[in-house]
Amino acid sequence: MIAQLLLTAFLALVLVYAWSAHRTVPIIGLLAGGAALAGLYFVWVPEHATALAAFAGIGRGSDLIVYTWVVISLLIMLNLHIKLRLQLDMITRLARAVAIDRAKDMLGRKAEAPPIELQAKK
Amino acid sequence: MTGLIRNPWVVVAAYNEAPVVGTVVSGIRRAGYAVVVVDDGSGDRTGDVALLAGAVVVRHPINLGQGAALQTGIEYALEQRADALVTFDADGQHSPAAIAALLAAIEQPGIDFALGSRFLTGATANLPVSRRILLSAALWFTRASTGLPVTDTHNGLRAMTARGARAISLRQNRMAHASEILHQIAQSRLRFVEVPVNIEYSAYSLGKGQRITDALTILIDLFARRLYR
Repeated sequence: MIAQLLLTAFLALVLVYAWSAHRTVPIIGLLAGGAALAGLYFVWVPEHATALAAFAGIGRGSDLIVYTWVVISLLIMLNLHIKLRLQLDMITRLARAVAIDRAKDMLGRKAEAPPIELQAKK
Repeated sequence: MTGLIRNPWVVVAAYNEAPVVGTVVSGIRRAGYAVVVVDDGSGDRTGDVALLAGAVVVRHPINLGQGAALQTGIEYALEQRADALVTFDADGQHSPAAIAALLAAIEQPGIDFALGSRFLTGATANLPVSRRILLSAALWFTRASTGLPVTDTHNGLRAMTARGARAISLRQNRMAHASEILHQIAQSRLRFVEVPVNIEYSAYSLGKGQRITDALTILIDLFARRLYR
């Protein structure tokens, strides 16, 4: 019973995570949500997990739950990878804006500066 | 040119190309075009050399990749009211003479992109067999995924109208941008033509070119990009 409650708490957190991930990466939210719901179902109806595990050739229902957990972990890793890409996207836009502004500033200063001969006379 | 294009800009993305970028920029300037070189966080004097050769230099504070540099150059050129843009490699394998042919192609009514092709007239010099196999695989993938009947892919020499350039928004920072451009051309439904161009492979440009292992990275990048908005 304690294990069931702990797993339920963890899987509920995964559901919240899936909901938040769904906004930026819909596919991850969908898969993680589906895996978490399947996990919750098997935690509370373990005999169905055992039946499905036997059908899939995994052996025991508890193994199936572990595999489900592994799938969830991989999905979370993929989501982190995608988040890193989104961060790089933002860094790129920032660096681009800085680069273009600097180039325009430099050209502006060149246009404003008096010719070198005039500067020398002063 | 027939005179429809009044303010063409050539965009050159450069990363650690100090040995050759000066010659490349001088060639383009001699042909009569404005050039913006995007120095992609080079560790050498690429930006200074390009500036001395007559280019406008936009410097990325960090290295972001060729795709990111091209997008920066495109945005800069559009801000300068460019009515046509040409992307041109910094490693000296393209000929400035090809620019006029590409611009002439987009002066045709209804054409927004002119894509350089190495294979239309067998216009390649010193193309190694391994590179030819890699390009054939990339071509097959591009045709299958975009539906565009192109004869060359990952060719850095292309021209676009300002309207075409505004339809392009590269988010693939690294090498996958070449496939991304073709995807975006297909999505935009703007028309393109292919123009035969000569690519002169030198030991220097081959040393800088893509390897077979890069193809896997490009595929992963293209796949990952489809997973998020």
